Amino acid sequence: MRRGSLVQLILVAIAAAAAGTAIALLPNWLPQPASREAGRIHFVFWFLTGICIFIFSIVASVTAYAVVKFRRKPDDDSDGPPIHGHTGLEITWTAIPAILVTAITIVSAIVLAKDDAAGANPLRVNVVAQQFAWSFYYPAYGNKRSGILRLPVHRSVLLRMTSKDVVHSFWVPEFSQKQDVVPGLHPTLHITPTRVGTYPVICTELCGLGHALMRSQTIVMTETAFDKWAHGAQTAAAVGGGGSSIFNQQGCTACHRLAAAGATGTIGPDLDKLAVEAQRAGKPLASFVRESIVAPNAYVEKGYPKGIMPQDFGTKLSKTQLDALVRFLVSSAKKGTK
Amino acid sequence: MTATVASHETHVEHGPRRPPAGWRRLLFPGFLRTAWMVPLFFGIGCGIVVLCRWWGGWHPIWFGEIIVLVAALIAAPVGFLAGIGAFDYWARYAIGAPTVPEDHSGHGAYSWRDYFRVNTDHKVIGMQYLATTIFFFLAAGMLAMLVRAELAKPGMQFFNNQTYNGLFSVHASLMIFLFVIPAFAGLANFVVPLMLGAPDMAFPRLNALSYWLLPIAGTMMLCSFLVPGGAFAAGWTGYAPLSVHQPMGTIFFNMGVQWAGASSIMTALNFLVTIITMRAPGMTFWRMPLLVWANFTTSLLVVIATPFIAGSQFFVMFDRVMHTSFFETAGGGYPLGYQHIFWFYSHPAVYIMMLPGFGIASEVISVMSRKPIFGYRLMALSLLAILVLGFSVWAHHMFVSGMAPWLRVPMMVTTLLIAVPTGIKVFSWLATLWEGKIAFNTPMLWAVGFVSMFVIGGLSGIYLGAVPIDIHVSDTYFIVAHIHYVLFGGSLFTIFAGIYYWFPKMTGRMYNERLGKLHFWLTFIGFNATFFPMHLIGVQGMPRRVSDYDPVFANWNLFISVASFFLGASTIVFLRSRRRRRSSTSTRSRRSSAIPTSTASRGRSTRCSAAVLANRCRWTDARSRRCQRDRHRAEADRGDRAAQGRRRPAGHRYLPRQPAAARLCGVPGHASRSGGPAPGPDGFDTARGRNSRRRLRGRIGSRHRRPRRGRTAGAAGR
Repeated sequence: MRRGSLVQLILVAIAAAAAGTAIALLPNWLPQPASREAGRIHFVFWFLTGICIFIFSIVASVTAYAVVKFRRKPDDDSDGPPIHGHTGLEITWTAIPAILVTAITIVSAIVLAKDDAAGANPLRVNVVAQQFAWSFYYPAYGNKRSGILRLPVHRSVLLRMTSKDVVHSFWVPEFSQKQDVVPGLHPTLHITPTRVGTYPVICTELCGLGHALMRSQTIVMTETAFDKWAHGAQTAAAVGGGGSSIFNQQGCTACHRLAAAGATGTIGPDLDKLAVEAQRAGKPLASFVRESIVAPNAYVEKGYPKGIMPQDFGTKLSKTQLDALVRFLVSSAKKGTK
Repeated sequence: MTATVASHETHVEHGPRRPPAGWRRLLFPGFLRTAWMVPLFFGIGCGIVVLCRWWGGWHPIWFGEIIVLVAALIAAPVGFLAGIGAFDYWARYAIGAPTVPEDHSGHGAYSWRDYFRVNTDHKVIGMQYLATTIFFFLAAGMLAMLVRAELAKPGMQFFNNQTYNGLFSVHASLMIFLFVIPAFAGLANFVVPLMLGAPDMAFPRLNALSYWLLPIAGTMMLCSFLVPGGAFAAGWTGYAPLSVHQPMGTIFFNMGVQWAGASSIMTALNFLVTIITMRAPGMTFWRMPLLVWANFTTSLLVVIATPFIAGSQFFVMFDRVMHTSFFETAGGGYPLGYQHIFWFYSHPAVYIMMLPGFGIASEVISVMSRKPIFGYRLMALSLLAILVLGFSVWAHHMFVSGMAPWLRVPMMVTTLLIAVPTGIKVFSWLATLWEGKIAFNTPMLWAVGFVSMFVIGGLSGIYLGAVPIDIHVSDTYFIVAHIHYVLFGGSLFTIFAGIYYWFPKMTGRMYNERLGKLHFWLTFIGFNATFFPMHLIGVQGMPRRVSDYDPVFANWNLFISVASFFLGASTIVFLRSRRRRRSSTSTRSRRSSAIPTSTASRGRSTRCSAAVLANRCRWTDARSRRCQRDRHRAEADRGDRAAQGRRRPAGHRYLPRQPAAARLCGVPGHASRSGGPAPGPDGFDTARGRNSRRRLRGRIGSRHRRPRRGRTAGAAGR
């Protein structure tokens, strides 16, 4: 290989590397990290990006150089040189990727181990996912329930998760941590928030009709603000066995619209129009509401698919809870029609 | 001409059986027979269900979902296969009726109708595969356009959530099970026997059956849009327990996968037996073209892995219709079990969709650079390494799934190790290009495009292999970008490379080079504009499989949607470039590394071991004297056979019963209208110009040329 062509090749490689670097640096790739784990994960990301730009520039430059320089002349009927291989070269390009992936593996394994170490006394939060809502319970504070994940800044948090129905996945892009929430299992996820702010909680595992809307928020607060919130009384809606609190706790708000509970879901039928729907079904309001909760497939409002509403509320709710829920819905429906 | 006549004396060609006249036509295999057999089998299925339910005392006796499952998705397809004639030979054999034997010599396509019949010729089946898969490719592409239309703006535009989920689920399933996997099988069906110097596949009837299973699977998946509740909407991954509780469309997916899976298992077995037992004398494993190596490893992957997805889908269906509890926690089931079984197939499936493409790329790059492939043995060994490693990485799809945490690091190690053999392949392709005489024509554009796009897909795969990054990006648009770089930039680009590369061989016509190049560039630009930004929005926080998203991503999504419509439109150029155009460029400049241009392309293929070997010695083993020796032996053998007519060389099970072998391999004195021009000293077709075009057409496009012969003539000849 002539020296001039080697210089050309290297110039092309530098141009390709520059293009790769520009793509890596110009747009804002990763969200602003808000947890210690995210910081480490971002380190791995940039470490790998460096390696990838290196490999990409080699491949791109050789390809571009070859297809430009070694183009066949129209009248050339000869063959290329019959090169069948080169042992040294083949060993090199086996060994170098092997070394690179070993480095990546070691860095990743260390980061993974550090990210998973929750420390001696983490704040424990139980996460319960269901179609299509998140609930967060704080066992250290009398099993206080919240629909929004509130966390103190700079404290190690261990989320223990489970699902009531299908597989969901908990993700906060700013924390860079993600965990599938599987029925019957209790996987954990470790987070150490480092930045006060409000971030989205996103379900990333397809969980059915309302998957795109299965969102909540996490609010990272200062230690004192969190203590104040944690020790404060439960909001009226979350306390006691009243119909509205059951409505909230069971996740009905995720899918249904109901002004009385401040719910604005659009996946299921609008419960502010319950009276009209009962008429359409040809049943008295109270028994229609009860039937729709216990056996939702018995009558499905037109325009909504069958089999989407969970069918186990009849077994999950006690009789008194069910009565309270029906009373609440009937009364709100009557208020709505007036 | 005299030679053609002479060959008729020793061998009588028989066309397809003519349908009898009158009511007996209803019994003749074909669509007329399916028209009454499908309803008949459907009725039998209904009867079985009703009888069982009545006997068991289950109410209601007429239960829609079970009827659909048993009668429409199991019995009716069997009726279809029986009607079309896929079982005729075996059925006759089983009941002791006289069978209609075939000697693989006269069963090519004689008219376009033959492509709609059960035909056991591997080339006809290859074409059937390709036509069918391109149809489903277009259908699945349309679904993708609908998905992008919905995503062009945040909020809901055209579809409700259930329909939207159905759109992307069916899109992915069709693309995977009805396009990429069978399209490769179709290309391989056409070329692998030719490359091996085999007269056909080892089990031609099985080959035909495995093709006819495909339209069933595809129709089933498409039809799921029509049933109440809409199409299956749990993604192509169909994670349990969500899939168990979906509307009825799910069983269309469960059963569709069974039919498509059965098809690929049969094809793979066929390839394995063909490659192991039917190589031409002297064609050792280390002389096989890399494409054959690729199909060999792919077939191993298919036969080992595919039963797992069949099992996983059966379990989901049992949970649904029989109320078992494989994946239902309430009944003691284990939801992660589904994911383990599913990915134990579906990760190897990624290689099933990738390795044949590697083979095609090796072929095209080597031929178009006029150089032997660089590092042939290491290339073949890296295929085997991918095969072995491919089975040890399935749980990298499950890093965030809640499986045993210790499994993550070992799976990361094996996953990243696959980068090594893959890297070997990429670097060897580059070394093959180096100092070659590169013809940058359409197949080569696709092949080089494949290498560059696949490198990007492979590098994003390294991100996903590293557990910490995977935790951040799994189930986001980063994944969507990655799989499309691998399956679109990888598999689809090589399928296009293969179609353009073998188009003259398959049809006897040349595609339109200018349109072919235009097709490539439009696709290349549209593809990158569509899928590269997906990396970005995925990392920034957009989850996959959502019909609605954060308005922050609105601009990028609009851009992606517009780009994807552009990409979709580029397919129109592909369809245009197929248009019949009498070849202006003959294939003279095409120097195949594996198929001598002198082998017949349609109709009767046969062993041309000498010609095949002459090529292989040149392309793989030039330094080896042994190969040359084998080649000379084969040539001597060919001369003998030409002289002795029907003599069978010892030790061959699949025999050319005619001197056609000699004719097609271009033995002097046997050149005929349908025989090719004699290969040059290097084994290549040296004829050129108008004359060669006519010969080419004579050999390849024998569509209507051959007079039809009745059944009696064929029988008398035998």
